[in-house]
Amino acid sequence: MIRNAMAAAGLLVAVASPAAAGDTSKGVILALSCAACHGPDGASPGSIPAIDRLKPSEIEAALKAFRADTRPATVMGRIAKGYSDAEIGLLSGQFGRGR
Amino acid sequence: MAGSLSRRDLGRVGAAIAASAALGPVRANAARKVDVVVIGGGFGGATAARYLKQFAPGLSVVLVEQNRVFHTCPFSNLVLGGLRRLADIAYTYDRLSDRFGVEVVHQRAVALNAANRTVRLADGSDIGFEKAVLSPGVDMRWDALPGYDEAASEEMPHAWKAGPQTALLRRQLEAMADGETVVIAPPANPFRCPPGPYERASLIAHWLKQHRPKSKVLILDAKDGFSKQALFMQAWTRLYPGIVEHVPARDDGRIVNVSASERWVETAFGTRHSGGVINVIPPQWAGAIARDAGLANADGWCPVDPTTFASDLAPDIHVIGDAAIAGQMPKSGFSANSQGKVAAANIVRALAGEAPISGSFANTCYSLVAPDYGISVAKVYRSTPGGIIGIDGSGGLSPMDAGPEVRAHEAAFAEGWYASITGDMFG
Repeated sequence: MIRNAMAAAGLLVAVASPAAAGDTSKGVILALSCAACHGPDGASPGSIPAIDRLKPSEIEAALKAFRADTRPATVMGRIAKGYSDAEIGLLSGQFGRGR
Repeated sequence: MAGSLSRRDLGRVGAAIAASAALGPVRANAARKVDVVVIGGGFGGATAARYLKQFAPGLSVVLVEQNRVFHTCPFSNLVLGGLRRLADIAYTYDRLSDRFGVEVVHQRAVALNAANRTVRLADGSDIGFEKAVLSPGVDMRWDALPGYDEAASEEMPHAWKAGPQTALLRRQLEAMADGETVVIAPPANPFRCPPGPYERASLIAHWLKQHRPKSKVLILDAKDGFSKQALFMQAWTRLYPGIVEHVPARDDGRIVNVSASERWVETAFGTRHSGGVINVIPPQWAGAIARDAGLANADGWCPVDPTTFASDLAPDIHVIGDAAIAGQMPKSGFSANSQGKVAAANIVRALAGEAPISGSFANTCYSLVAPDYGISVAKVYRSTPGGIIGIDGSGGLSPMDAGPEVRAHEAAFAEGWYASITGDMFG
């Protein structure tokens, strides 16, 4: 209401534009699932390991090892089997970047 | 409406308010329009609102949620088991507005007009939108179980929405005499949180074992089988022998009649069970606003596009969470969170004129059987033209043969999951 009144009065200079979409690429969308357990952007606040400081190559290797059951896990072996090599590559690239 | 603007908005426009006031009062029904309205601030809606702003900070996003404090259904069974206080599972929307710039309007959304793309609030005002996210959760069906209506739920709480009902059921447990029975009556599928009734039975048994050692939990089930059944039953044998009893529908577990005043439930074959505490979890359907807007099918659930969650019946309204028919995904907070993000990304893409992207969804559902005994079920899901399906080979249950270290690990991870997902939802 106030916003409309201001617009009418010419006081609101910048009107929010729906354009200017951020990155919503396939890799971003695939990586969204990780946050529910590993925390927003992988920065886990609790007992689940944080993944935000791992390099993409480390995440990729870990996921492939979980998928092959060569790395011990409670749940990640079950999760990793839901992703192809290409998907693992795309979503791993969203994290860490070697910080 | 002014009161619903976030502090940040007020700071930004503060100087202008005095000037606008000089224009005189604005009519209550003046059409106000924003880019996206999110209706319902639970696991689906809060997540969608946050990620809409995270993807596209320039979007105007209004979250309509009647409650100022949200209590999570996940971990509400810990409150019933005396392991958490209700305050420990309470969240506000301050950070969604302060940190992400979501405008949170604490009013009830009373009606959704899909044709005009407006939502009517309890104060009579309308908000117009380009896109809406509808995440209304479930309503209890007060017409489905004779004798069990809203008034009866004050005597026999369902506690299937966390908050006052959780507190009421907890008070009843504390008031119960040693030796009395706790009856839990779960509904047939589909319903919110398929393993929830059995986690509840477990954590109540955990509390009874210490504080009411002669009491037991009797589960009168409308189904024959249930989520994580073998894992739960193994845990009950190990931890709560003689305390938890499950009666499946085939053994006359399904209740068909309830008397709140006389405190009994009656099964299909006429057996009456009374209890010191009776927890009836009735059949459910999509929240009323979705059904009233014509977005639900004959069963009361909302069919949606498996990629974007756009309603089959109103393409600018995306229905997520428990209200939606999401193929093989269970009705869980994790599912709603996963759907909220994918819907948000595709709404941002649509508003920018970009084609939808088919993502994948995940669900990992932990149940606590005791504070140091957790079990889980997980699955990764993919959108297909025919619906959302679980990916072959992914997911599954915690191993049956696992020892106490694995169960303790999963219990710790349950707490870690809770910390992460609530941070993901509320910022």
